[in-house]
Amino acid sequence: MELTRRDLLKGAAALGAAATVPLTATGAALAQTTQKKELVTAQAGDISKFDPHFSTSSNDIRVSFNVFDNLTSRHPDGKLYPGLATEWKLDGQTTWRFKLRQGVKFHNGDAFTSADAKFSIERTYDPAAKTMVATALATIEKIEAPDPFTLVITTKKPDPLLPGRLAFYGGQIVPKKYLESVGNDTFNAKPIGTGPVRFGSWVKDDKAVLEANPDYWGGKIEVDRWTMRPIPETAPRIAALLKGEVDIITQLPPDQGERVTGNATTRVAGALYAGLYVLGVNSKRPSLDNPLVKQALSLAIDRDAIVKELWRGRGIVPNGPIAKGDNHYDASLPPLAYNPAEAKDRLKKAGYKNEEIFIETTVAYVAQDKAMAEAIAAMWKDIGVNVKVEVVEYSVRAQKNREKSFKGMWWSDPTSTLGDPDGMMWRLLGPGGPMDYWRDARWDELGNSARFSVDEKFRAGAYKEMTRIFLESLPWLPVIQPYEDYGLQKYVDFTPNPNQQFEVRRFNLKLRRA
Amino acid sequence: MASSIPASAPADAVLAAPAVRVPARRRRFPGLVVAGVGFVAVLLLVAAAAPLLAPQDPVRQALRGRLAAPTWKGSDGRAHLLGTDHLGRDVLSRVIYGSRVSLVIGFAAVLVGGVLGSAAGLAAGFSRGRLDAVIMTVADAQLAFPFILLAIGIIAVLGPSFPTLVVVIGLSGWVSYARILRSQVLVLRSREFVESIHALGGSLARVVLRHVLPNVLSSIVVIATLELARAIVLEATLSFLGLGIQPPTPSWGGMVQEGREYLDSAWWISTFPGLVLMITSIVVSRTGDWLRDVLDPTLRGE
Amino acid sequence: MRGFVPFLGHRLFRALIALWLVSTVVFVVMRLSGDPVPLLLPPDAPHSEIMRVRRELGLDQPIPVQYVIFLSNLARGDFGRSIHFREPAFNVVRGYLMATLELGLTAFVLAAVVAVPVGLFSAMRRNTLVDHVAMGLALVGQSAPTFFLGILFILLLSLKADLFPTSGRGDWRNLVLPALTLGAFTMASIARLTRSAVLEVLGADYIRTARAKGVAETWVVAKHTLKNAAIPIVTITGLQFGTLLGGAVVTETVFAWPGIGRLAVQSIYNRDYAVVQCTVFLAALMFVVINFFVDLIYGVLDPRIRAG
Repeated sequence: MELTRRDLLKGAAALGAAATVPLTATGAALAQTTQKKELVTAQAGDISKFDPHFSTSSNDIRVSFNVFDNLTSRHPDGKLYPGLATEWKLDGQTTWRFKLRQGVKFHNGDAFTSADAKFSIERTYDPAAKTMVATALATIEKIEAPDPFTLVITTKKPDPLLPGRLAFYGGQIVPKKYLESVGNDTFNAKPIGTGPVRFGSWVKDDKAVLEANPDYWGGKIEVDRWTMRPIPETAPRIAALLKGEVDIITQLPPDQGERVTGNATTRVAGALYAGLYVLGVNSKRPSLDNPLVKQALSLAIDRDAIVKELWRGRGIVPNGPIAKGDNHYDASLPPLAYNPAEAKDRLKKAGYKNEEIFIETTVAYVAQDKAMAEAIAAMWKDIGVNVKVEVVEYSVRAQKNREKSFKGMWWSDPTSTLGDPDGMMWRLLGPGGPMDYWRDARWDELGNSARFSVDEKFRAGAYKEMTRIFLESLPWLPVIQPYEDYGLQKYVDFTPNPNQQFEVRRFNLKLRRA
Repeated sequence: MASSIPASAPADAVLAAPAVRVPARRRRFPGLVVAGVGFVAVLLLVAAAAPLLAPQDPVRQALRGRLAAPTWKGSDGRAHLLGTDHLGRDVLSRVIYGSRVSLVIGFAAVLVGGVLGSAAGLAAGFSRGRLDAVIMTVADAQLAFPFILLAIGIIAVLGPSFPTLVVVIGLSGWVSYARILRSQVLVLRSREFVESIHALGGSLARVVLRHVLPNVLSSIVVIATLELARAIVLEATLSFLGLGIQPPTPSWGGMVQEGREYLDSAWWISTFPGLVLMITSIVVSRTGDWLRDVLDPTLRGE
Repeated sequence: MRGFVPFLGHRLFRALIALWLVSTVVFVVMRLSGDPVPLLLPPDAPHSEIMRVRRELGLDQPIPVQYVIFLSNLARGDFGRSIHFREPAFNVVRGYLMATLELGLTAFVLAAVVAVPVGLFSAMRRNTLVDHVAMGLALVGQSAPTFFLGILFILLLSLKADLFPTSGRGDWRNLVLPALTLGAFTMASIARLTRSAVLEVLGADYIRTARAKGVAETWVVAKHTLKNAAIPIVTITGLQFGTLLGGAVVTETVFAWPGIGRLAVQSIYNRDYAVVQCTVFLAALMFVVINFFVDLIYGVLDPRIRAG
């Protein structure tokens, strides 16, 4: 077992009083720097696939976004930066021109050209390819590659947010020649991309090893190797961090934050999630089709207590359907209110006759889902709601989601993929969308025009009006906008990305050297 | 996996050998057996009287007093002798109420398994042909099958509800009853047995009533006791895996699962329900073992 | 040996039927558990996507047709493709199998190595403190719920005492706690068995004869104990090793051990039919094969059975 920071500190302490003064100082400094050339991280679930177009699971995305590059890149600061595209501009209403980066090589030595970009993007929605990200770039009409470093994308209707869409899942660029020659299965087993790390080995449920790409266009990363270990249970994952066995852990529950902060060698880093944790509502069900009932349910939730106690303050109370940090977030709106007396009143006005109201919760799919469900159920019982909590497996939830057959409410953590209400509220609640249980003609009209408008003032007004309608009808019950926390060794300089991407590129991850 | 009755070749060989059963001699009941049975009685009492015994409402949450260590005076002014859990609920009250789930499901499952198994055993013994072969092959198949996976699969399909749990757990244990009853029936029907009876000048009916039936009953009592322990543990295991009784109803296995994240901070959430579960399983199993020693040593597969 | 071969043949036939039954039950339960396709596609995928993927995976056929295809493939050793991993199911299972075998073998060897001497010692020091403590622990090991034993070990020996890692597979240190947990029942059973076998031998006539003759007691004890205890121990072995998967499911879940038990549970949740079918079939096969050998050994050890 290699010498850990603790061993060194213990050794320092054992050397006696006089000697410990300078040595403790060095000991503390030692805890803050490292000579390691390997990064070890632990996350709660294992990878299932390396092919970036075949999974949208965050466990896969954390790795695939580093094996592959996108044309554009959203950094933790929320802004869009060049990736494999160095420049882009709108040419007319529906055409985007991208200038591509030159001199980039795939991990197998093949050169990156516009042919690869065209192939990758078309692959996502090619019916023959059967990918799982077919709807990510569905606004695209056609793609042309007039020369090896230019890409021209024409969209079906004006789409000002296209470059943002390309930064998220579905936009990873894969090698045309290699993929076509080996086929999907081999590509998944031995993936090749342009990213800062390349595939080394993968033992399922044990660890994945990725080697640094020495010729990466963004600069070789800090370390030579990155090992990712899945540790599904919280206690061992944190223990691994505290013992120095891993450098970074993801999905750190708020209850455990103190232990990581209190430990001399580790710290917590969190990003305010670019999205919300909400209770999706099947507004087609009896009782839940009545806006007064939903308003009552919302008023009965003591979000402050949830944030303060269950989340230990690591979160904020939302004020509507738009996440803080997004375009058109209205800071003037008050946080969603807690007023049990008013809630009881509205229930009465609604004519609620003790019908059963269900929360179908998952366990550990959305952080603290079961605990919050039980807490909220108790709050609702207090105002006289006949609430039933049912625990469902993730697979059951996925099925109900697909069939839109939820009995009542369920947990969802919508991500604002574009930093804009269009990418969250409209994408998910819009007509034909995955959470289409409620329609309002005015709301739909506003959302549609806002999507295709380039006038930000108009869009601001539209989203304000949509928020007002939303708060009356509550197709979602927003509960919290949490910080998603990571545990780090103190010698790791790492900024979490609010959209859950795990960024190891040079600009975001460094190890402090002595 | 607490059953210590193996059910394969040697047991078959031994039990299938026709013999006239010597009536069980009256043996003294060791004080320990009484203690064991007494424990179960106390547990039943606790479960029945839970509302009177539990200091607090087991589902009452107090978010501000969550994860509190065992104390005489908590932040809400009340005693939490076993601490509070991650939602501020009193662990002691939840452990007391948890006994209800364990006992009700345990007994119900034993009933289901016993009735099904006995029926199957009788049917197999009396049919002596195709039905017998089918039933015994199904029994073999069940042994070969990792039952917990089947339980997980079925509950994943049907959803965790009380009847589903009782039936699934009951189904896991029918084989033992079936084998015993089958072999007893085979003994009864064997020619040597019938001839011996006639030779000794007795009537079949009297022998059945005076000797066979009490032996069958005592065997079943032993099996049922051991099965009770196993059923309680299986229910807790399924709850631990998230497939048991749903929140907020407390169950010992579910509580161990809820406390896993806090194992090295709020260890009391997992430890106390787990210990109670373990003690219950040990005492009930031991009682079953003693009952077997007292009533029917031929059941011993050890 | 005349009655023995038909006996074995009969056993073999029953084993094959059992395997078929097991496979069918898994097939039915998995098909009933629902559609895996929603798990694979993002929530906003249109219906045509769903249909397309279903067709690709062969899930659009009526169930009886799927069953026939399943059985015929099974006979050829083709377990199908894992929906989750996009590889042949057998490859996936094979990757996890080593981990479970490693755990199971270690658990068993540990159990036997510890339990036999303990049982022997307890019998020879009957009714002393050592005996009571050992048998008390054996009682705990046999009756305690596996998952809680694992949790206790993690709490006391890993988190508090920091002697072993809390989970996962790595070097020998990672094996200790899971092997102890998995092997607890077997260890306890073998200890008790050994103890009663030794006690029986100690009370028997040939011991007194041996003592009178001055033959080394230990040797006689050992020889007769072995003969006495052999059958029950072999039974336990057969059952325990064969039902390895059942016990492994819980242990592997508690310790996040990457074996086929955990794989099976995850695959049930993922509705990854092929992997579940393959895992269960292989587990049942293992059980059947091991018990077949157990029967063979009985034939050698116990003449009654040989005579049929």
